[in-house]
Amino acid sequence: MPTTALADHVLLDGVSKQFGSTRAVESVDLAIRRGECHALIGENGAGKSTLGKVVAGVHEPGTGTVAVAGEMVRFRSPRQALEHGITMVAQELSLVPTRSVLENVYLGIESSRGPLVDDVGHRRLFAELAERSRIRLEPDRRVGTLGIADQQKVEILRALARDAELIVMDEPTARLSADETTDLLAVIRDLVGSGTTVVFVSHFLDQVLEVADRITVLRDGRLIRTADAVDETPATLVEAMIGRSLAANFPRKVPPAADSPLILSATGLGRVGVFEEVDIAVRAGEIVALSGLVGSGRSEVVRGIYGADRLDAGAIRLEGEPATLRSPHDAIARGIGMIPESRRDQGLMARRSVRENASLPRLDLFTMGPVVADRRERVAVAEATTEVDLRCASLDMPVDSLSGGNQQKCLFARWMIDRPRLLIADEPTRGVDVGAKRAIYELLARLAAEGMGVLLVSSEIEEVLGLAHRILVMRGGRIVTELDGTVATEGEVLEAAFGTSTEDHSDA
Amino acid sequence: MPDQRVVPDLDMATIGRRLRSSMTGSGIVWVTVVLFAFLSLTTGPFLTEANLRNILDQQATLLIAASLATVAMIAGGFDISVSAVYVAAPLVALRVENSTESVLLAVVAGVLAGLVVGTVNGLVVAILKVHSFIGTLATSFMVFGAGYLISDRSILRPVSDSFRDVARTRWFTLTTATWIAFGVVLLTWFLLSRTRFGRHVYATGGNPEAARLAGVRVTGITIAVFMLSGAAAGLAGTVSASRSISAMPSDDFSFLFGVISAIVVGGTSIAGGEGGVWRTVFGAFFIALMINGFNLHQVDPIWQRVIQGLVILVAVGIDAWSRRRPR
Repeated sequence: MPTTALADHVLLDGVSKQFGSTRAVESVDLAIRRGECHALIGENGAGKSTLGKVVAGVHEPGTGTVAVAGEMVRFRSPRQALEHGITMVAQELSLVPTRSVLENVYLGIESSRGPLVDDVGHRRLFAELAERSRIRLEPDRRVGTLGIADQQKVEILRALARDAELIVMDEPTARLSADETTDLLAVIRDLVGSGTTVVFVSHFLDQVLEVADRITVLRDGRLIRTADAVDETPATLVEAMIGRSLAANFPRKVPPAADSPLILSATGLGRVGVFEEVDIAVRAGEIVALSGLVGSGRSEVVRGIYGADRLDAGAIRLEGEPATLRSPHDAIARGIGMIPESRRDQGLMARRSVRENASLPRLDLFTMGPVVADRRERVAVAEATTEVDLRCASLDMPVDSLSGGNQQKCLFARWMIDRPRLLIADEPTRGVDVGAKRAIYELLARLAAEGMGVLLVSSEIEEVLGLAHRILVMRGGRIVTELDGTVATEGEVLEAAFGTSTEDHSDA
Repeated sequence: MPDQRVVPDLDMATIGRRLRSSMTGSGIVWVTVVLFAFLSLTTGPFLTEANLRNILDQQATLLIAASLATVAMIAGGFDISVSAVYVAAPLVALRVENSTESVLLAVVAGVLAGLVVGTVNGLVVAILKVHSFIGTLATSFMVFGAGYLISDRSILRPVSDSFRDVARTRWFTLTTATWIAFGVVLLTWFLLSRTRFGRHVYATGGNPEAARLAGVRVTGITIAVFMLSGAAAGLAGTVSASRSISAMPSDDFSFLFGVISAIVVGGTSIAGGEGGVWRTVFGAFFIALMINGFNLHQVDPIWQRVIQGLVILVAVGIDAWSRRRPR
């Protein structure tokens, strides 16, 4: 619905934001009108989240100006943004799980009677708030006992209790089920209906089209266009987001030779309550993708194969030989490498050097007795980093001074030093810029073409379709479908992942 | 849009980074050198062979224990039990000496006693997953108690005269205590900076889950660093008993405070994953020089404490500040 009559609530003029050497957002001019739902969309790394955080005061813009209700502001913290009626519901919720809904909503803004917290007053206000927002929650429930969807609602109530006029929501539906998503989108429409401005950051096109009044598309940190939602379709949005046709983004698929040997053959893998009866085979030269929704058990399965998590059932054979992998240490010794899901939490020692991070798994190759042979290590790491096109001023720089893309390449460099037979890549392009993404795709394709088996886990359907020779779709801890990667469509993958006939879940 | 507007922003960030890296880099070296120069110039009795030799000798036991406690700290482990081991291990050593009259066996027994406590600590932390601070606090009390039991609540003295030679022999004007400390520091430096074990220690402290996924045997590393720290504290206690020619039970935690102070003032992060034994050496000497200077200038001991506390606060403050990632 066009809302041209409304005044500008937030006006960004030439806003840029840089992290290290990565330009996350570049020269963005954007007007957010009062009382609209304004969606920011783009691929991972397009800058949509960063832009949302600039609006909410989480990031201070590097250059450019921000005006709220016509007044120039420079937010140095979310608190300052809140003073101007702007707040954010982040991906990571910031609630106190051990306290009640009511306490969480009024945390930090408690009204008091003398020394006592005005509980009665809070309850009255809470009831009003619930009425106004149509969010129904039990005020005395402990927040930790609520699901993610309800916790998000607590965050929204908290924002409203602070008289927020603009709420930035960063991928609020990413961790929700289909029903919960529908529910949240209705809440957002209600908020907008009652005059609150919502900035909705998402990469789910159908949701954006359903809920937003206007949509801004970002690509590589730049604003491509802002348009009324009614004038957009999934196809026009995808074109704007990618800027080229989908296929061009991925290297050509080279099918593995018909007689190429099995690298991994896992049968009947199970872990109580997480996944069961999982069979996976990967041949030399083959990229097998494990697809499915977040929580379907994809990462857990590959972690089980890698020895990172315990397996309760199943057998693993590597090149035909039975293998018992009790730890990643065992897996590495048997020729398996892994790029873990979260490079910050599971991948890198942030403050150690690129060299130390890259050589860590195969340090044994450079040791004489207990001593590390420095020069051999340096040479090997230099070669490995060159091979993955990791760019840094010096290999002795701390790895957290690199851009996200280069950090990810550092994880890949680990496995270039002595190539494993099987590489498990769990979300290998999460949070990297488009250039690095492409480089990683090419690297994966090249490694496979050279005979490595690749087991890929990815939430990005385009990535799965663009890279995999075979696609295994998981749902509820089981593999439900196997698809041929050369002919599979997005619809087929999503249908299997959701376990429904194709509703309106397709992104493109 | 004009790109030059980026420049001032970047400059501030660069300055901040440089400042941070110089503070956490070699800041402790410079302040120690400056303090040394200052005391040399202003304080007559400071720069004498006897005074410097004394400082070295007095720091020896602290450095022996602190070196390997630094390794534990880098691996992410906080070893509270160094005090208890420092008190109890020499009691074991002297019991063995009293019954065997062998100095060598006594020293071995002191180190082994520390190793045993360290092993227990390592198992408690790595297997039971008790936070190291609490786990080693608990074992501390047990070890303090064991000290009273071993010694029958009395002061133990060596029966042979040669026990005192462990710490008190002079080689090239320095005491053997100093030489032992020197050896332990060198060994620790080698371990941390040159060996695979050292890399695994840094990785474990920097990010245990990432280290595990990279094939580091995190459990093994954790147990090993506590074993080393325990053994070093046992050696330190035994050397100390040799210097004072006696050992007695107590539940005195003060040795730990010296160890922790040296580590954090040196700039090893209590968050793990960073630091070095050379830092601890400078941290220890900075504090020692400071106290020496106070004493030579007859500063009230009460104020000495206050200032020492401030120095520690500044050191951990810098660490916390440097950890804050610039947005």
